[in-house]
Amino acid sequence: MKISNKFLFAVFLTGFSIYLVFALNPEGASRILLNLLTFAGIYGLSAIGLNVHFGWTGLLNFGHASFMGVGAYVTLILMPHAAGREGEITSTGLPFIVALIIGILSAALFGLLLGLPAIRLRGDYLAIVTIAAAEIFRLLVRDLESITGGVYGIINYTENLQQYRPNFINNFSESLGFSPSQAWVCLVAWISILFTVLFLKRLNNSPWGRALRAVREDEDAVRAMGKNAVWLKLQSFMLGAGIAGLSGVLLAFNYGSLETTVFVPLLTFYVWAIMILGGVGTITGPIFGSIIFWVIISETDRLAFILFENANGQQLAGVRFLLVGLLIMALMIFRPSGLLGKKEELLLDVK
Amino acid sequence: MSNSLIEVNNLKKTFGGLTAVDIKQLGFNKGQLTSIIGPNGAGKTTFFDLISGFQNSDSGDIHLKNKDISNFQPYKIARMGMVRTFQLTKVFDRMTVLENLLFSGSEISNDSLFKSVIKSKSQKKYEENLKDKAKNIMEELNILHMADSYARELSGGQKKLLELARSIINEPEILLLDEPLAGVNPKLAEDILLLIKKLSNEGITILMVEHNIEAVMKISERIVVLAEGSLIADGNPNEIRTDRNVIEAYLGKDND
Repeated sequence: MKISNKFLFAVFLTGFSIYLVFALNPEGASRILLNLLTFAGIYGLSAIGLNVHFGWTGLLNFGHASFMGVGAYVTLILMPHAAGREGEITSTGLPFIVALIIGILSAALFGLLLGLPAIRLRGDYLAIVTIAAAEIFRLLVRDLESITGGVYGIINYTENLQQYRPNFINNFSESLGFSPSQAWVCLVAWISILFTVLFLKRLNNSPWGRALRAVREDEDAVRAMGKNAVWLKLQSFMLGAGIAGLSGVLLAFNYGSLETTVFVPLLTFYVWAIMILGGVGTITGPIFGSIIFWVIISETDRLAFILFENANGQQLAGVRFLLVGLLIMALMIFRPSGLLGKKEELLLDVK
Repeated sequence: MSNSLIEVNNLKKTFGGLTAVDIKQLGFNKGQLTSIIGPNGAGKTTFFDLISGFQNSDSGDIHLKNKDISNFQPYKIARMGMVRTFQLTKVFDRMTVLENLLFSGSEISNDSLFKSVIKSKSQKKYEENLKDKAKNIMEELNILHMADSYARELSGGQKKLLELARSIINEPEILLLDEPLAGVNPKLAEDILLLIKKLSNEGITILMVEHNIEAVMKISERIVVLAEGSLIADGNPNEIRTDRNVIEAYLGKDND
């Protein structure tokens, strides 16, 4: 297999980002790196799901956070947990893996329910509806306090996953000063990415993947060829939502407690940035995009500190957003197809 | 019911105050090559949109093979064997020419998500046959050398060819061609005309909207003339050539 220059460049840039973490943090770099790689894995997985929507099928979905949210809430509620103002304990529930599968299916079902009325809309109109639906979901979850814990959130659920933590993680974490529970979530996230990527690779060159790309290019022509474009879009919506649901569950386990503010639109936009950075329409692109993105997010304030020694925290935060903005601008100008995207297939123009 | 393959009765479509299509009765027979002509704004493309399901009529009914298809989705109508092309060519830009054809030729059941996950032997075999079929059609239409190019890289004429190739890969019974010669150079236009003639000889019923009157006269067996949404003439090329209404419709506007 020939390894393309693009791929090498992506690997190099990712390696360099990780190096930066060590260079900028004389102390505790490996712990920062673990935290960053855990988030990168979870967000990368979510971006891979978004790429099924946008990169493959051309669906402008700005409500990705809600798919993550549905997956997370359904899974947590089905397992033993505590929720609400009084921390009301639910001591019985399903085993992790069963709850996870139901959570993922629920996210896919939510995709279907949202898709049925919305999917006939094109381009920006779908974007508006999805962002609204995501906010409705979030506010609904906030107000259904008796089930979701409302603003007080859900706690005491991490053991459902941590009880399966293999021993080698404990030994390994101890020697490196990691939190073993985060190391385990990180590992699960990256294993999930591995399987998702393998699964999508299988689909990408299949007749089904081809049909999705045709929908992306021209829906009318798809209909004229006797194919049901709406059904294809719904399937794509469900698959991408299911992947997002899985990443939402992992996000919940990484945080250790879950509340609705996690699923604000900013989450969706982070996932979008990761997908664009990695390459729209690619399968592995978001993985590299995610690592680099998280290095930027977590290290720009350090970089800003070097540039502006006397700045206070608030000023540093401003500089950080400035740097992120500049980086995204530079990216759009010099490499709009992202790290791994093909120039000929540049997918950012939406019909 | 009549013997017509396609038949419309009292078909009406308005956009606000404008009557785009208002046809009392019109039928098309099996195997015939019919051209639909008329001045700009006569309702030709709207008529195509109505019978192919891309727009819904205000009233009236459309029958295809004696079945009422008035409110059918476009893809259902296409599956019944009536395939259309578009005035502004619609190809899948960021897919290769070969992929364009493979997608169009592939049956619904072959596209299924389940089969694509399983990757069965039968699907593989089906895809290989499909590839051969696509190659034959590309060869026939002289676009085989472009097989692996992205469709967006083709010239306007080549896109028309690709759209035609895509439409015939599933051997439709009826072809609706919306301006197949528009923007095509004279040499290629000649080739496309020959191809259309050949398809007609193979027994495909063809309806064609076209502004190139010379070409229309040459290959049509029947010509239907629309003006302001209504049928104003219907006959063989010789009858149409001398029809008073037609001359007025085309030339009358200049005198106004």
